[in-house]
Amino acid sequence: MERLLKLIIAVLPLIFAFAFLVPVIAQGMDAIGLSAPFGLSTLTFALIIGGGWGLIAQIRGRWI
Amino acid sequence: MSEPPSTALTVDELRQLPEPQLRKLELQIARKYSTRFPWEIVVWAFGNLVCWLALWPLVLSGTIPLWLGFIVATLNMSLVYLPTHDAQHDIIARPGQKLRWLNEAVGHATSWMIIYPYQVLRISHLDHHRHTNNLELDVDITSHAPNAWAAIWGSIRQRQPDAKRNQDYLASLMRAGREDLILVVVAYRLTFIAILGALAWNGFALEALLLWWLPYQIAMTYLIFFLSWAPHSPGMSEGRYRNTKSWKSKVGAIGSMWMEYHTVHHLHPYIPLLNTPAAYREMRPILEARDCELGGR
Repeated sequence: MERLLKLIIAVLPLIFAFAFLVPVIAQGMDAIGLSAPFGLSTLTFALIIGGGWGLIAQIRGRWI
Repeated sequence: MSEPPSTALTVDELRQLPEPQLRKLELQIARKYSTRFPWEIVVWAFGNLVCWLALWPLVLSGTIPLWLGFIVATLNMSLVYLPTHDAQHDIIARPGQKLRWLNEAVGHATSWMIIYPYQVLRISHLDHHRHTNNLELDVDITSHAPNAWAAIWGSIRQRQPDAKRNQDYLASLMRAGREDLILVVVAYRLTFIAILGALAWNGFALEALLLWWLPYQIAMTYLIFFLSWAPHSPGMSEGRYRNTKSWKSKVGAIGSMWMEYHTVHHLHPYIPLLNTPAAYREMRPILEARDCELGGR
């Protein structure tokens, strides 16, 4: 249990990114009518940006 | 023989009094302002909770626009902390009193909105009172900063995963022997992310962002600025009459959430928040005689 808990805490930035940040970016883009570059869907683009940001936050220990 | 009221004596006369007599006068004033039941803070706590909860159906049904919901939610989040703060200090009712349940209800009903278990806020905040401005033991030491902008940046920085503030709160729970609460903290965080995620992946990401996540972040920055940085930093040291200050805020008493009178709160934390201005005014000559930093207030 303790090990599982530590694992969850350790990957919290990634969990936050995929659970919340990705749909926020995708729906935010849709709301203001912004289309993704290179013919990507907004969700794919959001997965790249949100997931990438989450990965950076995971490695650096900070979002900004 | 009864003591003369403190206001009848000048600051110089108060300075001549022996310490026990000065202390007695200070306590007389503190007790005078601590006996009233703080019904306003109870109404504040539950009114604020109901208002924020009502925003969700109002926004989701399109009754009010999201931008308006965001403004109200930010106000709601900013107003969350002070009722739980009064509850943390047992101001609504002490253990064993008839209305103790109400004290605890106010504490629990409010603190979850800012993703903190009430018990954790209480333990860490009382630790802050015990060790104010101590570099090792004050859980709020990370809010110290040389100027206002540094304080705002520091507050945002201390909400990051690698922040020292997280470790300081953890250490406070360990010192109190309440390691069990670490699990509760994690459960609160995970539940918060789970709710945000469930809303977001069901098409309500912007509502979750603007009714909870962003208002929470703005409110925490505001709260830490006025409740922690402004009264304790910069330049405040340790010691009963030196660890906090009073000051005249540019945004007034309400805008700074009555923190202009924080000296009174640290000296006598059992005085209800909304009584601190009156207690401060009456206690001011004594505080001046004790060379407290009063900053023109």
